[in-house]
Amino acid sequence: MKKVKKQDIGKLLSQWQKEFTVFVSSKESGVAEMTPWDGKDTGFLDWYRNTVIPPKANFLPNMEKIFGFRKEEGGYNLEPPAAEERKQLIFGIRPCDAKALTIIDMVFQDTYEDTYYLNRRKNTLLVGMGCANPYDSCFCTSLGFGPAEATDVDLMLTDIGGELIIEEVTDKGKDLMGKAEGLEDANKDDEARAGETKEAAYQKVTRKIDTKAIQANLPNSFENEKFWEKIAAKCVSCGICTFLCPTCYCFDINDEKDARYRNWDCCSFPLYTQMPMENPREEKWRRVRQKVHHKYTFYPMLFDVIACTGCGRCIRMCPVNWDITRTLTSVPAEATAGTEK
Amino acid sequence: MMSEMEQKLRSEAKALLEQGRVDYIIGYEAGSLKFTTTPLITNDKDDVDLLVISPFITNNLSVFLRETNGKAGIVAKGCDSRSIVSLIQDQQVSRENLVIIGVPCSGVIDIAKIETMVGKDRDEIDDIAWEGDKAVVTIGGARKEFSTREVLMDDCLSCEMPTPQEYDILLDEAGHLVCDKELSRSRIKELEDMSPEQRWTYWKNEFSRCIRCYACRQVCPACFCERCFVEESEPQWLSPLPRWQDNLMFQVGRMIHVAGRCTDCGECQRACPVNIPLRSLSKKMEEIVDELFHYKAGTDKDALPLMAHYELDEAEDFIR
Repeated sequence: MKKVKKQDIGKLLSQWQKEFTVFVSSKESGVAEMTPWDGKDTGFLDWYRNTVIPPKANFLPNMEKIFGFRKEEGGYNLEPPAAEERKQLIFGIRPCDAKALTIIDMVFQDTYEDTYYLNRRKNTLLVGMGCANPYDSCFCTSLGFGPAEATDVDLMLTDIGGELIIEEVTDKGKDLMGKAEGLEDANKDDEARAGETKEAAYQKVTRKIDTKAIQANLPNSFENEKFWEKIAAKCVSCGICTFLCPTCYCFDINDEKDARYRNWDCCSFPLYTQMPMENPREEKWRRVRQKVHHKYTFYPMLFDVIACTGCGRCIRMCPVNWDITRTLTSVPAEATAGTEK
Repeated sequence: MMSEMEQKLRSEAKALLEQGRVDYIIGYEAGSLKFTTTPLITNDKDDVDLLVISPFITNNLSVFLRETNGKAGIVAKGCDSRSIVSLIQDQQVSRENLVIIGVPCSGVIDIAKIETMVGKDRDEIDDIAWEGDKAVVTIGGARKEFSTREVLMDDCLSCEMPTPQEYDILLDEAGHLVCDKELSRSRIKELEDMSPEQRWTYWKNEFSRCIRCYACRQVCPACFCERCFVEESEPQWLSPLPRWQDNLMFQVGRMIHVAGRCTDCGECQRACPVNIPLRSLSKKMEEIVDELFHYKAGTDKDALPLMAHYELDEAEDFIR
């Protein structure tokens, strides 16, 4: 393991900036998100707990041109998007958001390979940074990992006070370290302190859910209309929880006069399932039920993993404090006789 | 500790449900995060003990009225009661189906302002409590005092009707709300002092980060269209793609649609996950409505809605 002094982070980022477009958390736009580093400011180390806009936006942007088209004699001429951009490096991604990418990789490389998303994934290095101060809305430890765990990233950083300990997680990460200059080797004490820091962070996550019980009970709740009506009553059907969710990946397709675009879509919107003749999720409770089941029942059925990493954005950012952990823990323990209309 | 208002609310709500005078109670219960409350919509009389009144009852609950079937008993602050009146004027809800439980409001605390002033996030703050007219914020044993005008929501600082005028039950005598109209519109003043070019750049920047989650619209009781113009596809008025130009036009369109209905409850701005200062638009619009038409939204349930009638002496020829 290596280590770097906090005041030298700028030097390290500068080295990386020669090869990559380096993304760091920034509030410059008015909301915390991962944006290209300006080459100077490392002040984010002081305030950064997590971004509001999840780093999934760096792989599945809110708006993206899929291809251009021109009508020509005999048909349309399609113009694929411009060639691959510069390699990216995302600095300081949190374990929950890194794990979320691993989770949505599964859908983007399933029967259909989504080259737009996958090319960015192949083209990007993830330098993770463990949380020292998780939010009260965080519940990652209930999803099988911790807030400072070296998982789903290429390098993992742990803040032990004045210094950051760097773990090489993948070969890509090892290569990156091999080229880095001005780093010291971490000694046994440093490594022990990193371990203590991780453990302390783990203990700070106090919001808990019992995923085993939830996964056992949730499928039985599907037809319990009364339960879902009550759970859904205060939802206002906005797109905050899904748009800001690091594992929500739904998108809509829109054509303009010379190009096809995709943009984020959301199962909370009634129009999401609107079809010419009917809408299977006209009522709000069906949409809320879908959202919860998709994450905790359907995705595990398809890919053997819960599509939630406990990042807590949906709780923190919800305008009515609709709390998925409250919903999940209130699922009736036994199959109920409710029937669907 | 339960306040007298809370106690009264719970017993009134229980009686309403027990006597069958309402089918639902719409109120607030404690939220799952510090310094938050969350809407409680229930037909279960055992739930009434969850009802709370606190300086954090932010949501405008009237947004749920169109969704509840039957009669509803609704907890309403001054601004919320105006939204209810406005919905009655627009025939979206009927007065007979409502029992309005009025809360004399002394203002809602803006947690974001406190976060900025103390440089900490909500969950890092231990306590926020009123001591007289001071808000005392405790962090790690250290106390910081703030004046009322420093901690209240901007919309509260210009509130003219903190106590509901339209109600069936009033939980207490009219309260006292500290107002500071100048402070309340300080951001609007900054915008007014800009050149049109500067203002254009300002709004371009603000709307560049809109993600079209439509939370502003969804929390707005005045946004009751069955189908929003932004979702029309034939003709398509606006692109669903979140470009700043379309984001701006969506909001301008929305604001004009709620002119004469917006009661400056501040929910749109509070809900916005990317911090777009929407109230700078809505408050300015409310001022224009007042100036041009001498009309204050939701103050007279028998009045015709502003945008649904005209006077013979309208200033504009085209409407006569």
